[in-house]
Amino acid sequence: MQDAYLGIDIGSISTKGVIIDNNNRILASTYIWTEGDPMGAVKKLLRILQEQLDEDNYQVVASGTTGSARKLIGSMISATIVKNEITAHAVGTTTLYPDVRTILEIGGQDSKIILVENGIAVDYAMNTLCAAGTGAFLSSQSKRLGVEVEEFGQIALKSEHPTQIAARCTVFAESDLVHKIQMGHTKKDIIAGLCHAVANNYLNNVGKGKKIISPIVFQGGVSKNVGVVAAFKEALGCDIIVDENGHLMGALGIAILAGRSANHKLFDFSVEDMTFKTREINCGQCPNNCEIICIYRDGQLIDSWGNRCDKGSLRS
Amino acid sequence: MDKKKVAFPLFSHYNIFIKYFVEKALDAEYIMQPQMTRRTIDIGSRYSPDYVCTPFKITLGSMIEALEAGADTIIMSPGPCRLGYYGELQEMILKELGYEFDFVNFSEYYTGYIKDMIKAMRRINPKASVPKITKTLAESAKIIMRLDEIEADYYKNCGFEINHGEYKKNWTKFLLAVETAENMRDVETAYKNAKKKFAAISISKPKNPIKVGIVGEYYTAVDSFANLDLAQKIADMGVEVHRWMNVTNRNLRYRGKNLRVDIKDYCKYEMGPTSTANIWSARYYASHGFDGIIHAKSAGCTPEIDIMPTLQNISADYKIPILYLTYDSQTSDTGLDTRLEAFYDMISAPSMHAKIHTRKISSK
Repeated sequence: MQDAYLGIDIGSISTKGVIIDNNNRILASTYIWTEGDPMGAVKKLLRILQEQLDEDNYQVVASGTTGSARKLIGSMISATIVKNEITAHAVGTTTLYPDVRTILEIGGQDSKIILVENGIAVDYAMNTLCAAGTGAFLSSQSKRLGVEVEEFGQIALKSEHPTQIAARCTVFAESDLVHKIQMGHTKKDIIAGLCHAVANNYLNNVGKGKKIISPIVFQGGVSKNVGVVAAFKEALGCDIIVDENGHLMGALGIAILAGRSANHKLFDFSVEDMTFKTREINCGQCPNNCEIICIYRDGQLIDSWGNRCDKGSLRS
Repeated sequence: MDKKKVAFPLFSHYNIFIKYFVEKALDAEYIMQPQMTRRTIDIGSRYSPDYVCTPFKITLGSMIEALEAGADTIIMSPGPCRLGYYGELQEMILKELGYEFDFVNFSEYYTGYIKDMIKAMRRINPKASVPKITKTLAESAKIIMRLDEIEADYYKNCGFEINHGEYKKNWTKFLLAVETAENMRDVETAYKNAKKKFAAISISKPKNPIKVGIVGEYYTAVDSFANLDLAQKIADMGVEVHRWMNVTNRNLRYRGKNLRVDIKDYCKYEMGPTSTANIWSARYYASHGFDGIIHAKSAGCTPEIDIMPTLQNISADYKIPILYLTYDSQTSDTGLDTRLEAFYDMISAPSMHAKIHTRKISSK
């Protein structure tokens, strides 16, 4: 029986999971939509992973969660490690690309840049306050244009004169876009313009003041859009690596971290069949009115958080 | 004549010395409003212009809570940035809301002459004596230094305590002791006690602990409510946290020109209220074996946006990571926790932490 490690990355839009062996080889992997129900998505994800895993030869001895719902899912599956997505992405990518110097990442609601030297992250930045130029922005614009967001990239590549679109702010970009449509710009030029706007917005905000050195790896959902990849190549004047497993980097990273950590515990796939419920309660003991999230497994309180002080602490 | 009931918007632990000064020098009553909560920001934001910086909203909320607690006189500090104009606007907003009170805005009296400051103080008590004011000013300065010194000690060590909560308990006790001090002897006793208590707490601190320096906009970098307990969050990860910025360093002992001598290769002029101080301390942290720097500012703070390119140069020259944080009136810690955790993971990686001790101190 060989050891295997499970990593789950629960993002705002999609949920990713991998199971790896001791040599960081992927034994099982999948990618599904979160659809606003992280717990349901994870149950589905675990079922798919379990089917792919050769359970006669491998047993999952450590599990980790990352992404914006890491804490919730961490308690749900009793993960042995819960880590932020920035660290997880850096670990995942540097494992596959030991020479990488810059990691560009644009996800559903956030974007970040990680600078790497000799395989370790030395600097990073993340978008603050606003989500302009992320996946959510692209998919809302695709609806307006009546084009599937998956086709965006191919259409953009056909354009020879990308339309200039201000992408500093989503609201401005949208009104600019509507204006350009009414002016008579063609759809493919506008789509190409949007892709350029995403790349430029990223470089001017998240990438501001950061020295972007090649090799560059571009990942996150938006990296699947060849139009944005082309725009980055043009703006940076060098080649950009997009891994076909780019969307799995966070899950891979957290699986590797779970394996490295000393805390190991046999993973039980039966969580698939348990019922989980969350409940929100207002502490109400001071004007902070902390919203405390309680999570129940089969009707029993297993964890709670959200309180700022001991007044609101609940014990399982 | 009845005593005035005076209040000042909450700012870190500094209301303690204002209370002392108001009671001793001006023989007035001091009203301490309750600790700030979600509600403070809510009411502050509701009556503030949308794009004004967060300290305006928080202090406005805190003024309202002071008025609710019974204050009839609000004092507001002068300031070398937009802060200097805030008092006037806040007074208008509050009076339009219907609150009746006296507003003593020190911006209006901040001429550089002590006699004008005395005029402001005589609005609180027309009979206030000048010798008493000067004596109490000196005592208040001492209180500030004591508070700042103990606070600095707290954040350097609280992350390493063995029994969780001991530092916090003694720090809170110290603050209460100074707040209730009748005279300077009480303050000194509290200070000595705190020193003794802190020294007795058992800590397990490595020889080369991870060290982080905090720089940034005055209010947001210093006030733990405004920055969502930034210093405590990092300290709790097992980090020695330093912050040069405090009233002792920035106001009582400040010599901007002399600090600029040290950073003349980075900047020539003062660019705002705290730019010299921040560039100087960032340079100091970078060249003194710190693992990282955190820059905290409220959204739209122009002076702090202006120094960011200089900080980026320092970061590149000394190869020290800098985390930039922008605060708005949002109160969720989630985004902050993610960023801090990742920052900590990065600077605490063995190869990163070991490197800083061989990092060359730039000769320029």
